[in-house]
Order: sequence, then C-alpha cells, then structure tokens
Amino acid sequence: MILNKKNLTPLLENMAAGRDVFVPARVDGVAKFALFGEGVECAFDLVNTTMPPKDLLFPQTQKMYHFDVDANGNYRIHEYDESREQVVFGIRPCDMRSIVCLDEVFLTKGFVDEFYANAREKLLTVCIGCASAAETCFCESMGVDPQAAPNADIMLQDCGEVYRVLAQTPKGEAEVANWAAFVEEGDAEPVACELSLAVNMEGVVDKLEGMYDHPIWENLSIKCLNCGTCTYVCPTCHCFDISQDMRRKDGVRFRCWDSCMFSEYTMMAGGHNPRPEKLERVRNRFMHKLNFFARRYGMSLCVGCGRCVEKCPVALDITRLIDDIGACDVAPAAQAE
Amino acid sequence: MSGIEISHGCAKGERPLIPQVCRVVEITQETPDVKSFRLQTLDGKKPFDCMPGQLGMFGLLAYGECMFVVSAQSDEWVQFTVKKVGLVTEQLHELCVGDEVSLRGPYGNWWPTEGCKGKDMLFIAGGIGLPPVRSFLLYCLEHREDFGRIDLVYSGSKYDDLVFKEQLFEIWPNEPDMHVHVSLYREDPRWDGAVAYTAPFLETLDLGPEDGNRVAVICGGPSLSRTCRESLVKAGFDEGHIITTLEMRMKCGVGKCGRCNMGGHFICLDGPIFTLEEIGRMHSDV
Amino acid sequence: MTAQDTIRARARELLESGEVASFVGWEAGRFANQTTPLIISDPADADKLVFNEYCVNTLAKYVRDLVPRGKVGLVVRGCDSRGIVRLIIDQVIKREDVYLIGVGCSGAIDRKSGEPLKKCVECRHNNPVICDEMAGDEVAKDEPADRFAEVREVELMAQPERSRFFESVYAKCIRCYACRDVCPCCTCRECFVDARRENWVGKQNNVAENRFYGLTRVMHIGDRCIECGECERVCPMDLPLMKLNRKVIQDLNDLFGEFESSMSLDEGPEPLITYDLADREEFM
Repeated sequence: MILNKKNLTPLLENMAAGRDVFVPARVDGVAKFALFGEGVECAFDLVNTTMPPKDLLFPQTQKMYHFDVDANGNYRIHEYDESREQVVFGIRPCDMRSIVCLDEVFLTKGFVDEFYANAREKLLTVCIGCASAAETCFCESMGVDPQAAPNADIMLQDCGEVYRVLAQTPKGEAEVANWAAFVEEGDAEPVACELSLAVNMEGVVDKLEGMYDHPIWENLSIKCLNCGTCTYVCPTCHCFDISQDMRRKDGVRFRCWDSCMFSEYTMMAGGHNPRPEKLERVRNRFMHKLNFFARRYGMSLCVGCGRCVEKCPVALDITRLIDDIGACDVAPAAQAE
Repeated sequence: MSGIEISHGCAKGERPLIPQVCRVVEITQETPDVKSFRLQTLDGKKPFDCMPGQLGMFGLLAYGECMFVVSAQSDEWVQFTVKKVGLVTEQLHELCVGDEVSLRGPYGNWWPTEGCKGKDMLFIAGGIGLPPVRSFLLYCLEHREDFGRIDLVYSGSKYDDLVFKEQLFEIWPNEPDMHVHVSLYREDPRWDGAVAYTAPFLETLDLGPEDGNRVAVICGGPSLSRTCRESLVKAGFDEGHIITTLEMRMKCGVGKCGRCNMGGHFICLDGPIFTLEEIGRMHSDV
Repeated sequence: MTAQDTIRARARELLESGEVASFVGWEAGRFANQTTPLIISDPADADKLVFNEYCVNTLAKYVRDLVPRGKVGLVVRGCDSRGIVRLIIDQVIKREDVYLIGVGCSGAIDRKSGEPLKKCVECRHNNPVICDEMAGDEVAKDEPADRFAEVREVELMAQPERSRFFESVYAKCIRCYACRDVCPCCTCRECFVDARRENWVGKQNNVAENRFYGLTRVMHIGDRCIECGECERVCPMDLPLMKLNRKVIQDLNDLFGEFESSMSLDEGPEPLITYDLADREEFM
C-alpha cells in the first residue's frame, strides 16, 4: 500500500476529527510536535524536531492530582481525568526507539506508572522513515534503522514521491482501514538513507564497566556547564521531580522534568549530596546512557538522534565520547553486578 | 561462606503515586528534634500492611512528602520517626494529634527476617539511624525463639540525640540474651557511659562473626557506615553478612525519577536493603 | 606567526614553566568549522588549541572552577576579557589568578549559516580590555549595530501585542538554565531557582514561572551584564534574551548616564548599588 505525499494534508485533516494529532512543526521558531490545526504548518522536511516528542507521554509538567481543604479543615484529594486519544504523526525512527526505552522505564520491572500508561495506551504512533539525515544523526550506530520502527503502529517508509504504508499493530491496522480514500494499492522502494556520522558501539558497554574511575570523566566534565539542555532535548531522559503548589485552600501536586545535571537534583534533606560535583553528574549521565541502562534493560539509552550534539552550548559531544571510550586501552569487563 | 539472602523484589501497590489521607493518632517527642507519629486511615484502620524495613511516603499535601521506614507497627497503626532536617520534616513537626497527613506505600524490600533465622544479631546504628533498624529489632524480639543473641550498638553525638531512651535503657536491656551498648561521641553532663565513636566502640565489644552465625545490620550516616564496615571486616565478618539500608537514596519511591540509581541498580526497585557485598559490586556515588 | 601559532607556543611555555596550572582555549570539534572549549594542563596538548572565526564560545566562566587548581591561562577577546573583569570585580577570582593572552577578534561566524553571529555583529569591543600580552595585533573597531534597536521594537508594540510577545517568549522556555550557566555574571553559590527552602520560583513549567525566572535573572544581572550575548546564543529555544538585557541597560543609560559594565578593573561601583543625592526620584 502506498500514500502519495500530496495526500498528507487531507489525510491529517481527516484524522484530526475527534482527536488530537501532533505533527512536527515550527512554532514561534521552535521545531517541535504541535497540535495539527489552524496556524500549524506541518514540517515533514525537518529531519528532527528540536524538542523530542516525549512530552506527549511524559509532559514537562504533569498535574497528578489536586486537593483542597473542606469546611471542617480536612484535606480532600481529587483526581484529574483528562487524558485524550492522541496521534503522533511524523515521529522519526530514533524517537520511536526512545519510546521503547520509556516503555521499559515506566511500564516494566517494578511499578507501572499510571500517568504514562494512560497516555501510552491512548497514543497512536505514525512513524515516517528518513530519506535523508542531519549531520548530527547517528541512529544507525545505535541500532536504529532510519527507515524502520518495529514498535510504531503505522510505518510510512519514505520512497521519494510516496510513502510505503505498513500497518504494524492491530491498532495500526484498524487505523489504516480508514485511510482508503487517501492510499492506493502498490509498492515502492524506500530511499536508502545515507548517514554521514557513525560511531562504533562495539565493546563500549563492557569497557565502561571498568571505567568508572577513569580520567575520561574528568576531561569530559571539565567543560560541561551543567545546564539541563542535553537532558531536556533528549528523547529518552526521563528524570522528574514531584512538587506542589498551594494557593489559599487549593493545591496541586505535579511532577515535572528534572535534570541529573543540576546540582540540586540529588541534594538530600540535611544537606548530603552523593553527586556534588560536575564530575559525578556528568559521569552518571553518560554511564546511564551507555552502560547502566544497557545492563538493566538490554538496550542503549542513547538512540542516536543527535539533539544533544546539536544543542550543547559547549559542543560536548556524546559521539566523541564513544570514540574516546573505544580508543581507551581498557579491558572489557563482564557485568560486575 | 555464602551471604545472607535478601529479597530484591519490592512491594508493588496498585496506584503507587496516589496517596491516601490519614490521621495522626499519637505523637511521641523522642528527642528535641525527633518525633514519632502513629498514623491511621480516616476510618481508624491501619493504612497498609508491611514487613519490617519497608517504607512509606509520609507528608503534607501542601508541603511535600518524604520517605521513611516504618519504625514500628501494630494491627491498628503504622509509626514513622522523623528528625527535623529540612523543609517537609519541619512542617511534620508542627503536626498535632488529629491532623490529616498524606501517606503512600509501602515501598521497598524488607529486612531478611527469614535469611537471618537462627543467627545472632548485631544491630549497629547512629543517631536517627536507629528507627529503621528498630523495625527489625522489634521483629526479632517478637519472634525471640528464631534468633540467638542480640546486640545493639548505638551512638549519638549527645545525650539528647539518643532516640527511644525508654526502650534503650529500661526495656531492651531486660530482654533475654539481649545486650545494649550505648556510646556518645562527646562527654555529656548527663552521661556516665562510654564516650567513643561508633566504630572504635564496636571494636571494644569484641563481637566476632561466629563463623558466619552472626549477622550485622548497620544504619547510620556515610562515615558511620564506612568505619563500622571496616571494623567488622577487620573482625573477620564477610560483607555478605553485613546488611544495610540505602533508604535515604529513595525519592519518588517507584524507581522512575532517576535519583536512586547506584550503577544499574535502582534503590527504589531492588532495595533499599542490601548486603555490603552486593553494594560493593555496584558503581556508586556516595 | 598567526595568532593561533602564538597561542599554542605561549600556552606550552606557560604550562611547561609552571606559571599556569591550566590553560583555556578552543579545539576543533567533530564537524567542519566547529570548535569547542578546550581546557588543558599538559603542555603536550597545546597543539590541539585553535583560534579561528568559528570560536563561538566565551571562556571566562571556566576560570571560576579552575582557579582552585592554580593560576589559569586563557585566551581573551573583547567579550572574554570583560567576563574576566566581571569575575574580578565580583570577587569571584583575583587578577593574579589569571594570565591573559589577548587576541583581536573580527567576530565569529555561525558555522551553519556562514553569517556572522548576531552577538558579534552587536559587539562593541573587538579587542581585549585587559590582558597580559597580545597574540597578534589589535583589530580595527567595527561600527557596531544600533545597540537598542531591538529594544525599541518591543517598546513600540502596543500593550496587548507586547504582552503577547512576552507570553510567546516564555511559553517557549524549557528552564534548562543554559543562559544562567554560561553567564559570567551568574556566579551565585546558590541560584535563587535552586533555593528550594525559600521556593522563590515554582518548578512547574508555565509562562508565569518561566517569566518570573527570566525577568528575575535579567534584573539580577542588571548593571553587570557584559553584553557578550552568550545567553542568547546558547538558548536551545532561541529566546531573544539580549532584548531583555539591553532594555535594562537602556534604562540605566537613561537614568544614570552612558554606562558599560566591566570595561576596566578600576570601575566605580555599579549604578544600581550606588546611592547618589542626584539620583532621579520621579516616583516620590
């Protein structure tokens, strides 16, 4: 089945009836996933948005519940019921891989996060493959195929004039069944996407096992500013804080993105901080991306989208770190734990 | 000699992030800056069942919430013992009996009550480290026949900082085959006992590993934990027989917020209770 | 000898002689025409140093973290040197903590667009305001763009339009604090946003909280801003932060006479911390 690119807008208009469809767009100069509708122009020419789509599942600020004080001075907790059916249309394969990572964090090996689970359940994912890459893209090195995303409900492989449509889940099949007016029978060959940036991940996870106290972290962290840019533009970073705002008798408990780069992040009541310096924070971030997560979930927490490479104020570049680890004369170690 | 086996699955409640409103039914002033709070649901029931060593997220809706070990429990209530150290705990100290609080839990794994069966128990704690340890100690006393000799080594920087004084000086010393050893870090006009830091004090007591038949349980600040570990290892303990809790690393309670990791381990999901041998294999910032 | 050759040679000498413990400059990045800050302590690394029109980062902020290890050598252009003056006046470092190799700068180029960086077009001081030696000659002073043109643009907006403008700016902010962390004026041991006890600013990301952060920062930088434009350059959301900084500077000029911060070490106290009987008090 193929979808002519000329039919994209009519298809989206059709899909947007009764639910929220998010598309890559430039809003006030920022490339992100925006609600399709008046004034929002789809930017499928963007290889990648500046802001990742993670906020559709894990908003930067998520109100969890609110509370008030009744006439007797007693607290009452009230829940929100606001999650809606959502479609993300035009998400890229690297970002689809990031959803595999987030699913692992929020849905497996312990508690199920009900807020994430709710939004995930109601999200339909339509992935568009990449026919071309940005200079910072290195998804292939992280095991992502730029023209495939096995976990997307619907995959649209870029074949130049047309997309090749693959319904990959029952949800995707049900959706595509409604696309008859916009698609046609046929087949096309996906354009081969050429990436100019590549890193060699072979042995990196095992080498890092023995590099916790290696000088590489000092050399890396010394130029880091400890801002949160890399963590906020990262599609897989998922650290949060839980806090509350109270106005008179009404309050809201919310969670919001937090960053392991911030000094205040691991500060404990009483003043002890296990990661007091840039060194520990930078090491933790990159170890989490390249080793800790792989140990726990069997996959890298870096998907090779290149956003942090592009946006870091001091061009601290994870691909150079991976090269440097590869060049280190350290014996790979089996999992120590 | 294999180490003590600890269960690393955590309790998994249905809606782990949503608290229930509970009521404070009793408050005990333990020291000038430590209070214990007994909590019940609004209809007078025990808020949740838990094993010794498990935790609850106790807080105030308007101010925030903190993770505490359930320091004691009965069929009707759970108790938390809270030192005033920060924003939320200061507000908790303002609570009166009858006030409403928020509570979610239980979280975390529990002390290896089964794995320690038949063993001599050596509890080591400093200051506010006693409440987490006490949950295990109380269990041992309740199931006295399952455990051998019990030693408690407890220290504080001054007399005022010693929590649970009644149990410490009146009740526990009279329990069968239980030995309570208390020291202060500094001279104090109200104190005629030992003056020593915990680790050197522990060394004077000559409590050996008994061929793997004695289990040490440590809870204290980073320096107490480090020095007592060294003393125990010097005395011949293997690290698989030294147990501790890393509960101060827990923040959201559900292993998602990202703070509690020590290498690939998430304290909220796998802990907070580990043997030192297990902790030694983690990549950890302390 | 090019400025880059001089910088390499002098960095090596300074490190070898032990006069400085570390040296701060730039090295080539992974991509064409990209550089990244380089901090070295081994003289053998001096040949990694580069100096070219793609050196976009200012370097002064690094000195704060490096000074505890010993004297710091660094390359300074106009902007970097004013950052150093700022740190010295704010008593973050002492003059003798740094050895400054000055270099004239004709402005950096955005590697993507090939155009001069906005901050460099607006730059008023191409040459260092202090240094211990120069690598190469000073460059001729460019005619800077109108310093307050973009402020007037906002001032000319009708109130509802201006309100929408600020709304759209702060709706975009993600509170990554890169603007703060890159700023040589932002040297508080604990930033007000991190003071959880006081809870000056809530952690929710919304226009009200974001604007409170942004405007408080602008006011706190106030009469100390060195106009290096780094905050605006690093902002991942492209917030027009210099519009705000320059609005404050424009008001300072208006109230206290022409003022530029951090131009020399013996600058008097800043206008906002000075009481003068002649100060205007039209609100009284």
